[in-house]
Amino acid sequence: MAVKKMGLKQKYAHLTRGLDWETTYEKMDDVFPYDKFEGIKITDWSKWEDPFRLTMDSYWKFQAEKERKLYAVIDAFAQNNGQTNISDARYVNVLKLFLTGISPEEYQAHRGFAFTGRHLRGVGPRVACQQQSLDELRHFQTQCHTISHFNKFFNGLSEFRTMHDRVFYLSVPKSFFDDARTSGPFEFMVAIGFAFEYVLTNLLFVPFMSGAAYNGDMSTVTFGFSAQSDESRHMTLGIEVIKFLLEQHPDNLPIVQEWVDKWFWRGFRLLGLVSMMMDYMLPKKVMSWKEAWEIYFVEAGGTLFKDLERYGLKMPKYHEQATEACEHISHQLWGLLYQLSHVAGLHAWMPSDEDMDWLSEKYPNTFDKYYRPRFELWKQQEAEGKRFYFNGLLQLCHTCQLPMTFTEPDDPTTTCFRESEYEGQHFHFCSDGCKDIFDREPEKYISSWLPIQQIFQGNCGGPTVPDVLKWYMFGPNDGAEYVGSEDHKLWESWKNTTTKEAAE
Amino acid sequence: MTYTLTIEPLGEEIEVEEGQTILDAALRAGIYLPHACGHGLCGTCKVDVLDGEVDHGDASPFALMDFERDEGKTLACECRLQSDVTIEADIDEDEDARRIKVKDFDCEVAEITNLTHDVKGITFKINGDTIDFQAGQYVNVTLPGVDGTRAFSIANPPSENDKIELQVRLVKGGKGTTYIHENLKLGDKIKISGPYGRFITRKSRGGAKLFLAGGTGVSSPRSMILELLGEGYSEPITLIHGVRTRNDLYGFDEFTALASKHPNFTYIPALSDADGDGDWSGSKGFVHDAAKEHFGGIFAGQTAYLCGPPPMIDACITALMRGRLFERDIFTEKFLTQNDAAQTKSPLFKRI
Repeated sequence: MAVKKMGLKQKYAHLTRGLDWETTYEKMDDVFPYDKFEGIKITDWSKWEDPFRLTMDSYWKFQAEKERKLYAVIDAFAQNNGQTNISDARYVNVLKLFLTGISPEEYQAHRGFAFTGRHLRGVGPRVACQQQSLDELRHFQTQCHTISHFNKFFNGLSEFRTMHDRVFYLSVPKSFFDDARTSGPFEFMVAIGFAFEYVLTNLLFVPFMSGAAYNGDMSTVTFGFSAQSDESRHMTLGIEVIKFLLEQHPDNLPIVQEWVDKWFWRGFRLLGLVSMMMDYMLPKKVMSWKEAWEIYFVEAGGTLFKDLERYGLKMPKYHEQATEACEHISHQLWGLLYQLSHVAGLHAWMPSDEDMDWLSEKYPNTFDKYYRPRFELWKQQEAEGKRFYFNGLLQLCHTCQLPMTFTEPDDPTTTCFRESEYEGQHFHFCSDGCKDIFDREPEKYISSWLPIQQIFQGNCGGPTVPDVLKWYMFGPNDGAEYVGSEDHKLWESWKNTTTKEAAE
Repeated sequence: MTYTLTIEPLGEEIEVEEGQTILDAALRAGIYLPHACGHGLCGTCKVDVLDGEVDHGDASPFALMDFERDEGKTLACECRLQSDVTIEADIDEDEDARRIKVKDFDCEVAEITNLTHDVKGITFKINGDTIDFQAGQYVNVTLPGVDGTRAFSIANPPSENDKIELQVRLVKGGKGTTYIHENLKLGDKIKISGPYGRFITRKSRGGAKLFLAGGTGVSSPRSMILELLGEGYSEPITLIHGVRTRNDLYGFDEFTALASKHPNFTYIPALSDADGDGDWSGSKGFVHDAAKEHFGGIFAGQTAYLCGPPPMIDACITALMRGRLFERDIFTEKFLTQNDAAQTKSPLFKRI
């Protein structure tokens, strides 16, 4: 009788399971010291079902081919001077934000997953984390390589690594990942694997990649595709983590709920940067932030949480506040960046009349009423040669590290302030969500590195604004108003050449 | 023009329309293939083509690599057939499922019983043949003057293989059930094909079995329970059968008799609207309420079989999961329609 052919699942089990062992001369708890202190109870690691069955051998084959394809596109883009075919040089500011604010977090994710993979004692999640760790490193590299082409022509890209570690608004993404990486391995998995990679990732990647496609940046689109083929594995890992934790022990539910609440709100605040990118920075718009939130969080997230409710897991706390705030955050943040662009590493500008009309259409409840008048005033001041910049240091939210710029839920004319006292000191927050996060773990957050406080303490290059900007490693032409900037002039010169050539 | 697609390791054969993707065809046939993005970008639905010719459609070159195309992989969500094809998918082989070829049977109506005011029991005698099936499976019935076929679960155990018993509730405006209730008479010749479906008893698991049935959803559990008890299954078996009022309840005498004969079998009928039945001393409330009450809200260790209308199944799944019984131990009878496929669903669960 012929031997029965093995199914794919069995084959995979033979290739990946039973390769580890129970230690004998060291205690298992000493070898894996971190997977118990968070209070998560795992009764049977073998119940972990690999969301994506991939052996290391085929992993390398896949990634090698993805790299070959991506680098062929990047080369072609460079040879054809792809940078001259983007919609407008304002678009490059999207890449500046991405390279300084997102790519370094890919690297943080790489390190976080390497650590977590090492410290989970089940072999299934260990392999999955290690593969994701390598993916994240690859994403970081391919993003640097893709965007490095733009660095040959435009300002604000060359010192991205230092900028990420020092600049005030970049501490928003940095502190997010610092927080996740200093959590235990299970919280890291819920924070990055589930809340970020699953619930919120579409709000980051889809807008960026569609934005690149709409604005003629084919090299960025390609690294997006290349990354998306990894993302599916990451998303399934995030889903498996949450199922696994909730099924293993009933005591895990309240812990996981607190993490989901926390990381949803932190993620929402972080994605505020994406909101202004979508609504203001893309010369050719894809969709509004509000529309993206409706599709990817309210609908897709709603369906997911409806299923998760079977486990007793509820929608993240303050999700209604987040949805309500989507009418406002992009306008409030862009207004802030406009006033602060002279101390930023990228440019800002006021939307054209046409763009303002688009915003009115996309935000019928709020834009004309609250934001258009402010923006028209600033435009008028520009026309009078009095471009407005805010000169002063901002108060930051102690949790998300964004400036205290957001308004009260249900009252867009009052800035939202929250405060907690801990060991005789006062701490300030932009929202109930951020205050709750601090109050739950004050000992952790009192050690946060807050960029404005650090300037006052003399840790940022010196007491004056030029001292600090030098320490940020900003070039003299990296920031301030786009109109009249070096980037703008370069773009105009390219366009004039093309027009002239066409005329001849 | 259609092609036949064989899906290994299940050995299931399905028809695929020209231009239809194999993912779509599989899902419509009730076979779950892993998938996520649905348009060739993520690679979650990758399968091996063992035999035949396929068109990869718009599979992204990053989701389906060149070397994989050479090795005979394809993405189910983009793949169209160019010939009859055999694929192997990353799905669990079902050790309890037997591969029984679907056959057409010439049947004759041998008995019609009024089980309740709106449910009829129909017994079909099979002419010159016997039916091989697994308890829990269903048949398709072709009715005169009614387009297409109608699916009904088999209520008799597989040992009674010379007949097919169905329990049919009159659905308002339903052409098939109206025909059965108003026109079908003894001696009518009816074409029936089967068996179909993967809702079967998981005998390989052993352990306690919990059947949750709503209305005529009790027909499959009846077949399964009669078979188990007939084979001398000694682990606990519980049937909770929910209906609205005492007038809607049928099978009471039969199941009560079985329960007194077999100490491992517990029968719990539940009425969701018992107000008019003052002497009702049994369970009150919906099926999931009765289940929670009986088991004290803890279901771990059971294997659950759910059969009934979607809201009942939905409520039961939640109750079971809150009682720590999860997807791998829950089986439901579900017919996927075009509407179901179009519903947005999170990828959290595969089968339930």
